[in-house]
Amino acid sequence: MSGIGLLFNGVWSHYAFATAPKYRGLYRLIYIHDLTRESIASLDALAIPFQSNHEAIARRRDIIYEFLAAGGKVFVEGDSSPAWIDAQWSDRPVNNWWWVTEPNNPPVADTDYAHPLFQGLAPRHACWHTHGVYTRVPEGADVLQRNGDGEIITWQTTRYGGTLLATTLDPIVEHGVGQITHLDNFCDNLTAWLCGVRPEPGTMTVDADAFGIDRFG
Amino acid sequence: MLRAVVIDNGLHYLEHSFRSNDAVAYRFERIGAEFDPVFDGADILIVPNGSDHIAMLRVREKVARFLDAGHALMCFDGWFTNWVPGNRWIMDNSRPTRDVRYAVVTDRHGVMDGVEIDTLIFSHGISGWWACGYIEPNPAAHVLLADTWGRAIAVIDEVSTPGTIILTASGPLGDGSYDGEAGGPGLLYHNLIGYIARRGAHHERNRATL
Repeated sequence: MSGIGLLFNGVWSHYAFATAPKYRGLYRLIYIHDLTRESIASLDALAIPFQSNHEAIARRRDIIYEFLAAGGKVFVEGDSSPAWIDAQWSDRPVNNWWWVTEPNNPPVADTDYAHPLFQGLAPRHACWHTHGVYTRVPEGADVLQRNGDGEIITWQTTRYGGTLLATTLDPIVEHGVGQITHLDNFCDNLTAWLCGVRPEPGTMTVDADAFGIDRFG
Repeated sequence: MLRAVVIDNGLHYLEHSFRSNDAVAYRFERIGAEFDPVFDGADILIVPNGSDHIAMLRVREKVARFLDAGHALMCFDGWFTNWVPGNRWIMDNSRPTRDVRYAVVTDRHGVMDGVEIDTLIFSHGISGWWACGYIEPNPAAHVLLADTWGRAIAVIDEVSTPGTIILTASGPLGDGSYDGEAGGPGLLYHNLIGYIARRGAHHERNRATL
């Protein structure tokens, strides 16, 4: 099977996103504590959402870097840890009401709209809020987004073989939470970039039958 | 003083939300590959926002024993796995957040005393920020808060088990995470803690009488 492995730590927003009818054929939930080389060998990409357990990820970092070395893509959103990624994430207050009080001053000031992740997006669709910044990124990394202070929001590097892209945006968590209605735009771009398949157009819905399960995996 | 175990999913901000104080001593149980939490000595099990519901499903019998012993569970998260006795949480994104409002249904224990319900409904004038989805409660449980569509979003269940189950539909609550907001979610949390403390003292008196 090809597709995207969503490394998750039992958080419900990750689960809601990956089990949504629109995305469930393209994402496979992989419980981080059960991650093995074999469980991701046939995948195109890995997605590591915000609210992940970075201590658990760090213990399995070799598996992730072997996946990258084989040419896979890895997407990291929200925070991260230098215990497994050669970069420094730093927390900042979250402003998720700017679009009410300062609609012309979004948290991201510069975006590389030539990158497939952002192609065709309106500025508002390319940033809803950020969870901190990167104060250090790997040598030679390309910066794709900065905030108004010039701090790094999104970057990517190919130094490990495949592409590692990290952002302090949190599209998977927020789309799973369902409180921001325009995230189909970003998440469809993200999915197409990660696995080469664009989800069917339309709004993500939730499958109520997927909730209250007695077994997983 | 109450003793609480907090389920720790390795999230960086958790320790700021549950700092020990005069009312509650917190202890964290970190989730790992072989998660086997110890609840001995605890009065309350807290499952905060951002918890691991695969891990909780794997220890659900231990949670059931904790509740059977008369202790309290507080879950402020969306439990998509079936580990909470008697109650189910369901995610739903079909209702516009701009239409979300909450109302008190039944407050038998005064846990909403002083709480400004608008602080749960609005953040910077934006509604629908707090809870997600809704709860299908035990029909005999008491629904504390319901949403615009009459769905339970906060429940106090004293009937499914000998213990007390306090649930929000993923509405985050914590000890200290909302400091400075008078009448806000922090007060609701402290009122809930006060209720559990009173309930525990009542049980102790009954035990002494017996």
